[in-house]
Amino acid sequence: MKDKLKGIFVQWRVLLLLTLVVLALISIQPQLFGNEGVVIRNVVVNSSASNGGIENPSARLTPLAKERIISINTEDISSVEDYFLAANDLRENQTIKVETSKRIYTLVAHADEEGMIDLGLKIDKAPLSNLRKGLDLEGGTRVLLKPSEPVAKDDLELIISNLKERLNVFGLSDVVVRGASDLTGEDFILIEIAGVTEEEVKDLLARQGKFEAKIGNETVFFGGKNDIPYVCRSADCSGIDPRRGCGVVGDGSTACSFFFTITLSQEAAERQAKITKNLTVISEEGGAYLSEDLSLFLDDVEVDSLRIGADLKGRASTNIQISGSGVGRTQPEALTNTLDNMKKLQTIIITGSLPVKLDVVKMDTISPSLGEEFLSNIFLVGLLVILAVAAAILVRYRNLKIAIPMILTLLSEMVLILGFAALVGWNLDVAAIAGIIIVAGTGVDHLIVITDETIRGEVTSDWKKRIKNAMFIVMGAYLTTVACMLPLLWAGAGLLKGFALTTIAGISFGVLFARPAYAVIIEKLLR
Amino acid sequence: MKLKKIYEEKYKKLLLIPILLLIFALIQIALQYATTGDFVNRGITLKGGATITIEGETGMTPQEIQRFLTDKFPISDISVRTLSSAGSAIGEIIELDTQERSEIDSVIAVLKDRLDLSNDSYSIEIVGSALGKGFFIQSLIALLIAFGLMGIVVFLYFRRAVTSLTIILAAASDIIVTLAIFNLTGIKLSSAGVAAFLMLIGYSVDSDILLSTRVIKRNDGPVTERVYGAMKTGLTMSATTLAAVLISMVFIQNDTIKQIMVILFIGLLVDLIMTYIQNVGILRWELEHKQK
Repeated sequence: MKDKLKGIFVQWRVLLLLTLVVLALISIQPQLFGNEGVVIRNVVVNSSASNGGIENPSARLTPLAKERIISINTEDISSVEDYFLAANDLRENQTIKVETSKRIYTLVAHADEEGMIDLGLKIDKAPLSNLRKGLDLEGGTRVLLKPSEPVAKDDLELIISNLKERLNVFGLSDVVVRGASDLTGEDFILIEIAGVTEEEVKDLLARQGKFEAKIGNETVFFGGKNDIPYVCRSADCSGIDPRRGCGVVGDGSTACSFFFTITLSQEAAERQAKITKNLTVISEEGGAYLSEDLSLFLDDVEVDSLRIGADLKGRASTNIQISGSGVGRTQPEALTNTLDNMKKLQTIIITGSLPVKLDVVKMDTISPSLGEEFLSNIFLVGLLVILAVAAAILVRYRNLKIAIPMILTLLSEMVLILGFAALVGWNLDVAAIAGIIIVAGTGVDHLIVITDETIRGEVTSDWKKRIKNAMFIVMGAYLTTVACMLPLLWAGAGLLKGFALTTIAGISFGVLFARPAYAVIIEKLLR
Repeated sequence: MKLKKIYEEKYKKLLLIPILLLIFALIQIALQYATTGDFVNRGITLKGGATITIEGETGMTPQEIQRFLTDKFPISDISVRTLSSAGSAIGEIIELDTQERSEIDSVIAVLKDRLDLSNDSYSIEIVGSALGKGFFIQSLIALLIAFGLMGIVVFLYFRRAVTSLTIILAAASDIIVTLAIFNLTGIKLSSAGVAAFLMLIGYSVDSDILLSTRVIKRNDGPVTERVYGAMKTGLTMSATTLAAVLISMVFIQNDTIKQIMVILFIGLLVDLIMTYIQNVGILRWELEHKQK
């Protein structure tokens, strides 16, 4: 037996498989003893955290490479609850020491409009491996957008980068935004945002975001960097409008006004001067104003209309104050809505409009707790499935020399798929998990074919021929399965791509590496 | 022993079983089409609409939730069913035929109020109807392409018309009969279900390739013995896969995967008949014909 085992571990097929399994484990990097701290998922722009130098993580970082918060004011943070408890103890303007996996930051705490201390960090449990959990496992929002009219490839890329920037400006960097097309050549844009997603983010994505300021019928400036190089988002030049404030409106609800300043480009300012030159000055409400208002439009709907002071007549002023409003049933709700509207408008003005209108054709919101339960459920089901398969194999062969290598080979195939997933950074979602189950299914089938072909000993004593026979059937089965999966790479706006890719990659690893190695092992053990 | 004798000697008559099954399946699909206008019961991913999944105990039966919602929203088509795992309820799935955000939002508001839901205890999936229809049509195209590619591979592999056609016929019968049985379960097909059908082609062809290789490409022993040899291997394959599929079907807490497993389970059972009665029958017939 000892010699047999020795004989196995000098076979190149076995060595190759073992090497690949080790490489896969290195790429997954399972943190068997846990991982300290909480991971930073997003950093809100202009928050205490971003002002203190904490950077928004890039979506390209592997899960384990993302910055983690280890302690706040020397108090260890080991869970999301710890973080919120620590954040609750903070006071306005307090200096905070935040230790992360990279370095120690010094932040100054600021309270938000409702008096709560918010460092501007969105955090999550520290990851335990480099496997990216898809939305179905983690919770979040998946939005599938479709341009309302056909767009050129360049335009599609422009839209994608614009949407990415919008989310970035909003403080969400850990997002997936990618194009997808289907069998009929229609283009889609898929956006995935992990974690709890605020309503306004969803609203922002589908907006074309055509921002226009008009005087009378003439456009003075558009949103975007050409006309508006700078948009103020700090507290001194944006926020709730102190002059207009909040007030109860007709139906008993409260309305508030916001303002923020922008800087116009010289060109846009000249345009404004030219238009205002011809307007007449009228006096009312104790002030002198121009006869026409500056009206702000977002996607062709008027957002607000501003009086223009008489002193601006014919002047190429580059500083403009933009305003708008929000309504709510109560004052706090009105304040929140108003500030949300402000943030949306700022984002749209900064990033400019999209070349076409986008329609939301599919939107999924997955509850984070549902995802978490599902993950443990998968482990349970996986374990039960392995036990059941092992039992079936034992009943049939009644030989541990066959059953043990078979189960180990199967497990190695799972590790290879997961390692590959971690390496290329694809998200493990329900479709991918279904794919892994399928791979396991074909895996067992092929291993059984190999076993039966090799133990049909009497007929041909040539082992090479037996394995060749086995691989003939396995290859046929492999090629037909891949053929069946190929169309799914494109069908249905790429939503089943994860399933198809996992299945194809998994079966390929199986047929190329794991199953041949099993054939060698079985040969050595049974000979 | 009697059964064995029938299986070995009356294989031509046994072919009636798969043929009748196929005919019944085609009738079921035709009836389905005649009564609903669709040959399969399409779920929201294939026709548009919204699904709200509420996790945990709601304290109401699905019928109660359905009645409650239909009272409040008489115009909408609402259906409610329970998502269960290992026999116990783990959530409720509510399907609406609308994809209007405002309408869905008001349904959720009403549900939140009635069932006392927190913000993160439910999931929503909304599919636009144009997209859903597109998915459906593309699924059919994908199924056809997959079938074509599979056929090409099988032809290149065996280079024998009858053998290849028999394999393709077995896969096609498997899909059609499985679809008919799936229709009878009343489950609504989702896009993941389509993927399961594609997968089924793969699984179904596996056992046929094994059988054909053993029976045609080998010369060891009489035909029946080769068939039994292939059957021993093939049944082991089916047994392990069925065990895995059955366990996933019962224990998984996810509707999508559950549907995939239901389809594979039906399909693998049907495949036993298609492979060991239909495919074996035709193969033996062909070999007998050649010997004459």
